Amino acid sequence: MKWRRIWALVKKDLIEFTKSKYVLSAIIGIPLIFAVLIPLSGLLPIANINPGDFEGDDTFPDFINNLFASTVNNWESLNMHAQTLIMMAYFMFVMVLMLPIIIPAITASETIVGEKERKTMEAILASPITETEIVFAKITSSLIPSIFATFVAAGGYMIITDILIYPFIGQILFPDFLSIIFVLVFGPMISIVSVELMIMISTKVKSVRDSYQIGSLVVLPLIFLIVAGMLSFFFNSIATLIGGTAVMAVIIIILFKLATNIFNREKAIIKMI
Amino acid sequence: MLAVETRNLTKDYDIKKEGKRAHLRAVDGLDLAIEKSEIYSLLGPNGAGKTTTTRLLAGILRPSIGGARILGLDVVDDASQVRSIVGLLTETPALYERLTVRQNLTFIANLYDVPKEEIKQRIEELIDLFDLPDKIDLPAGSLSKGMRQKVAIARSMIHDPPVIFLDEPTASLAPESAKIVRDQILKLSKLEKRTFFLCTHNLFEAEILSTRVGIINHGKLISEGTPNQLRDLKKDETTTVFRFAVWNDIIKNFFQERNYDVLDINPERKSISIFIKEIEKETPTIIDELIKQNFPMFEVKHEYPTLERVYLELVQSENLPRNQEEEES
Repeated sequence: MKWRRIWALVKKDLIEFTKSKYVLSAIIGIPLIFAVLIPLSGLLPIANINPGDFEGDDTFPDFINNLFASTVNNWESLNMHAQTLIMMAYFMFVMVLMLPIIIPAITASETIVGEKERKTMEAILASPITETEIVFAKITSSLIPSIFATFVAAGGYMIITDILIYPFIGQILFPDFLSIIFVLVFGPMISIVSVELMIMISTKVKSVRDSYQIGSLVVLPLIFLIVAGMLSFFFNSIATLIGGTAVMAVIIIILFKLATNIFNREKAIIKMI
Repeated sequence: MLAVETRNLTKDYDIKKEGKRAHLRAVDGLDLAIEKSEIYSLLGPNGAGKTTTTRLLAGILRPSIGGARILGLDVVDDASQVRSIVGLLTETPALYERLTVRQNLTFIANLYDVPKEEIKQRIEELIDLFDLPDKIDLPAGSLSKGMRQKVAIARSMIHDPPVIFLDEPTASLAPESAKIVRDQILKLSKLEKRTFFLCTHNLFEAEILSTRVGIINHGKLISEGTPNQLRDLKKDETTTVFRFAVWNDIIKNFFQERNYDVLDINPERKSISIFIKEIEKETPTIIDELIKQNFPMFEVKHEYPTLERVYLELVQSENLPRNQEEEES
């Protein structure tokens, strides 16, 4: 692989993203919604409930207590109101991890089908760049905005959540080991899977609209399933976390191979005719 | 070594016809041999197979049957190298509209591994060549259609390719811009020994630029030669026009009495067009007689068949049997 060609294609795509109002507003707007609106709308109502209303004989099921006892300091000593806030904070943090799935649906569609639609792809296909280099570059250029958006959203979410719930739990919840792993490892991995699936779809369809539709119908539910499956690993132990990461890495490699096999110069040209 | 060589080059597309899978033969057994520094024009109606031929030769499509070589490199086995040494202007040369002209050219230069230190100079040369200096930092989307075409042509030459395929290079250009492009093609071919392969509908352009012309229809090469050789195919259809200072029906009678095939009489222009079987032998005799009889003749000219006329007749005659076959079947 020639990195200069890959970087040229990535750089070109990134410049195009920054000049597209639609893509730019998605990359900036959606993370802001996740960073600000989700904690405000999800945590604020619970924070405003009288802690006394949570008192009683009921407790959370054991598996939830065990799950959080291993990740949150002094879980057992916190009152039910504080525990509920922490639980909500984590569950909504998982929602922030939807960003690495959503953003690639926009960027990957734009980079491959968009190029086919606008017939700019032929100049790339006429050059000596290989199919693998094209796919790698397109994955990278779709991935960068997604990772950027995830970092911005996760950072914003963590700050706002900590400010909101500190008075109730008496400790800073984020960032902790789990959230750092989520944002720095799991998020980018989900993003790569999402980009690879979107690129596979993009090579098969003729219009950006088809790509969005198939993406939202097929890819997003598929990734949600993967995410749900992986979350159970991550909450268990370091060993299962490493195992889960390894499984994701294998999925990423297999999908990359599939994407490069599917992306074919001749078929790409014929689809443009 | 030939610049472009094809042997039985054939390309089939899989298509769906009435819900069933079918083959469409876009290029059918094409044999070409184009020397270095030639300007070869491929003429043909829409759907004749010109663009597919170009894409095959540029290493983007793979032949179904047969093969092709560009400067000795096989378009299938050495496809990547072929793509490095050819320049391609496609039929619909889209630019990245949000990128500036400079960014468009730099991007393509990087894909072709043009040395980094040469990119700036190369861009400036091409920008000067195609008279675009004030457009270089404008977004490509803000340019007129003709300007975009010029940028697209510059883009196809950014890596200094020895073989250049141009599909309709002057289609959307104003006459003065078209002339700049034609002049550059001639200059690059003569001075820098570059080979040009043009696909065009512009027969005037093909006639004045090309060293040789190929006519393609239904994917087959139906005729090939220099523009003169192709015109000579219809040499026997040369007409001769006589013009007079004063028109008189006696002039008409003069030609009719001698059993010349009168093609056109134009009293307003005071001219008559006739068909002469043996032009070189008979024309001086006719002129002598007209002078002897004091007809006020002031101009005699032969109108040779144009490439356009030859092309149209070849394409139409090629269409005829096929249409008849279809009707019969």
